[in-house]
Amino acid sequence: MPATTVPLELRDVTKRFGFFTAVRDLSLSVPQGGIVGFLGPNGAGKSTSLRMALGVMSPDEGEVSLFGAPPNIKSLQRVGFLPEERGLYKKMSPRAIISYFARLKGMSAKASRQRADELLEMMGLSDFAFSRVSKLSKGMAQKVQILAALAHQPDFLILDEPFSGLDPVNQQGLEDLIIDEHKRGATILFSTHVMEHAERLCDSIVMMARGRKVFDGTLDEAYGALGRAALIGVEDGFDLNAAITPKGFGEAEKLADVWRVSLPPGRDAQDALRAAIEAGAPITSFRPEDARLRDVFVSLVSEAEAADLHQTLAAGPKPEAA
Amino acid sequence: MRSIYLIARRDYLGYVQAWGFWVGIILTPLLMSIGMMAPGWAAASQPTRYYTVIEQGTAFSEVLKTAIDSDRVQAARMSLDPVGLMNGEPNARVERFDAAIEGGASIDEALGEAGGSEITVPQSDFVQVEPPVRTEDAIRPYLMGEKLVETADGPQPLFAAIFVPEGDGEIEYWSENVTSQSLLSKVRSAERTLAERRVFAEAGVSPSLLKQAEARTREITERRARPASSTTGSQVTMADRAPFIAAVFMAFLLWFLVFSVVNYLLMGTIEERSNKIFDSLLTSVKLTHMLSGKLLAVLAVALTLMGVWALGAGAFGALFAEKMPPDIRENLFMVAGAVLKPGLLVPAILSFVLGYLMYGAVFLALGSLCDTIQEAQTLMTPLIVMLMVPMFMIIVAISDAESPILAVMSWIPFFTPFLLILRVPTGPALWEVTGLLALMVISTLLVLWIAARVYRAGAVHGAGVGDVGKWFSRLVPGKKE
Repeated sequence: MPATTVPLELRDVTKRFGFFTAVRDLSLSVPQGGIVGFLGPNGAGKSTSLRMALGVMSPDEGEVSLFGAPPNIKSLQRVGFLPEERGLYKKMSPRAIISYFARLKGMSAKASRQRADELLEMMGLSDFAFSRVSKLSKGMAQKVQILAALAHQPDFLILDEPFSGLDPVNQQGLEDLIIDEHKRGATILFSTHVMEHAERLCDSIVMMARGRKVFDGTLDEAYGALGRAALIGVEDGFDLNAAITPKGFGEAEKLADVWRVSLPPGRDAQDALRAAIEAGAPITSFRPEDARLRDVFVSLVSEAEAADLHQTLAAGPKPEAA
Repeated sequence: MRSIYLIARRDYLGYVQAWGFWVGIILTPLLMSIGMMAPGWAAASQPTRYYTVIEQGTAFSEVLKTAIDSDRVQAARMSLDPVGLMNGEPNARVERFDAAIEGGASIDEALGEAGGSEITVPQSDFVQVEPPVRTEDAIRPYLMGEKLVETADGPQPLFAAIFVPEGDGEIEYWSENVTSQSLLSKVRSAERTLAERRVFAEAGVSPSLLKQAEARTREITERRARPASSTTGSQVTMADRAPFIAAVFMAFLLWFLVFSVVNYLLMGTIEERSNKIFDSLLTSVKLTHMLSGKLLAVLAVALTLMGVWALGAGAFGALFAEKMPPDIRENLFMVAGAVLKPGLLVPAILSFVLGYLMYGAVFLALGSLCDTIQEAQTLMTPLIVMLMVPMFMIIVAISDAESPILAVMSWIPFFTPFLLILRVPTGPALWEVTGLLALMVISTLLVLWIAARVYRAGAVHGAGVGDVGKWFSRLVPGKKE
């Protein structure tokens, strides 16, 4: 299989559970060597999409391609997967579990045990290598599961909500681990609803809401989707909207103590400040609006939910079952 | 295949590394032995009970004593030649013993004459004592334990008093124990014997004539057209009964193994579901490989159980074979030989494998739907009841292996594995054996297919016990979910 094959591609994938559509018409592509964030609120369809990507469940419509073919045991051997619902065999030791999952992915017994020892050493869990999982703390058990997912050095790492349940120190440790895996050459797709992780780690993001993809692009494109603005404070009584709109800027909105000036394409915050000065505005403060992924996320998700509600209302009441 | 091996290996080691497994391996045969020997121990531990007969003369007492001793006489007689007597073979020692008893000798004396004095015959459960008083009112304090009777073992409470009036009056059996019926049945038996004697005496038939009639009873030899052993001709011997005993043993073994090991599948799957391991496994192995690995692991557990027990039985046999009476040893070898005959062994192995797969798949599927043991119990109850049916059929087969109910029930797929084994020694028609085997194969494949679908629903889609209820409710016409 050529190394340049796109690790994962979903084409118009739909999944229904009875009358409920969990994922609809989802298309996405995870490029080789990228770190892709898969974002969305709870119930957006992220886990269902990932399970379809891995062949755990089949889509009702559309196609899934993992390393250029429908998911199969051969292509899955190149994948490391951390499921959303964590679970380990409670009576086994961390070393045995890591070795077991590595062997299921094709490693030899000896190599898997060596790798387990290395990883446990790296994560500071050597002292617990032979303890029962039931004796470990929740955080330790979660680390063991993450190690089990990447023990066989997969080409593609899929992590479903990897940060949930971890304290800030361990979250940082996991971020470092993801960066290390990326440096090793692994492609990474991880789902989260914590935007800060995505902002720090991702090259690109895919956002889901109500089972639909609402955004797919780079972080800069995401910020751009929200629309940029400059926040300019002026002395009371001055109408900045009337002064600046004729200069080619969008409508300025009066907030509590500042005006929010929308920036059209090709113009930046400095241009807005310059235009305000030229218009004779008595400026008291100025700062470019610091767009955050969280705001983009809230905005896009709200729009999707509103559209969904609108569609539901337009469809009218459901006929009663016969 | 590698993933099947890895799944099976992990599960197998998980089961056999648990200390409970080894405790079970040791305790099971121990408890079963205790269970089998318990009735004997209970009988042996029964205290000697003292009774008295109030009558004119000793006619009733003597007949009652003979009736009470009849079980002991039979046990002593059997001890002289158990296999020969079972096969209806003549034996000089037994004839000497019978003659001695007939001549009025005690059991020990008769055994001595027959050359079997080394056998200890258990002491009689009931011992007659002289009546301390002769009226009903006077005997009450003895029966209630307020007064004791004099016996060879010192003063003892009186268990029962039997009043036998002159003529045709009613015999009264007095005892405070209303649950133990042994002595009462012996009293009835004695009265039957006496009644016969009275009637014959009234008809002018002398007792000696009766004894002559009994002595001239002809031997009855059991024969069959298809004898198991050519050396004994058509006469039915232990060799003819050995296949039936072996079949009952194997059917019971299959039932016991299915009953004990399929629980491992249920528990293991519940653990995986509650620990949420399915997704990790399903992204590493195919679902069918996962199921195969799990079934293989528990099959290996069953084989380990059988292997350890077989080794234990072998070691036990090697240790005690020398001390075992040769006849008994010969019988055991005969039954073991019957087990190993291909005619029984091949259908038994097929029944075992297919029966295990059928029940194993069902329990595996159930486990995938349950988060807790409590949930599993609600689904397991009907299965346990169903698994009890073959056990009852084994009991039927012990008394009549050719019972029509066995033939009919053997066509119900869930019972076929057990009942085919039981029916093989009766020599069913070839078409029937072939048909039953085909039925087993088809139904096992069907059950595996359904179980895989249920397992997928439970493991992948998180279907639970509630969904089973909904599924059944959809089958009820006109009922909404």
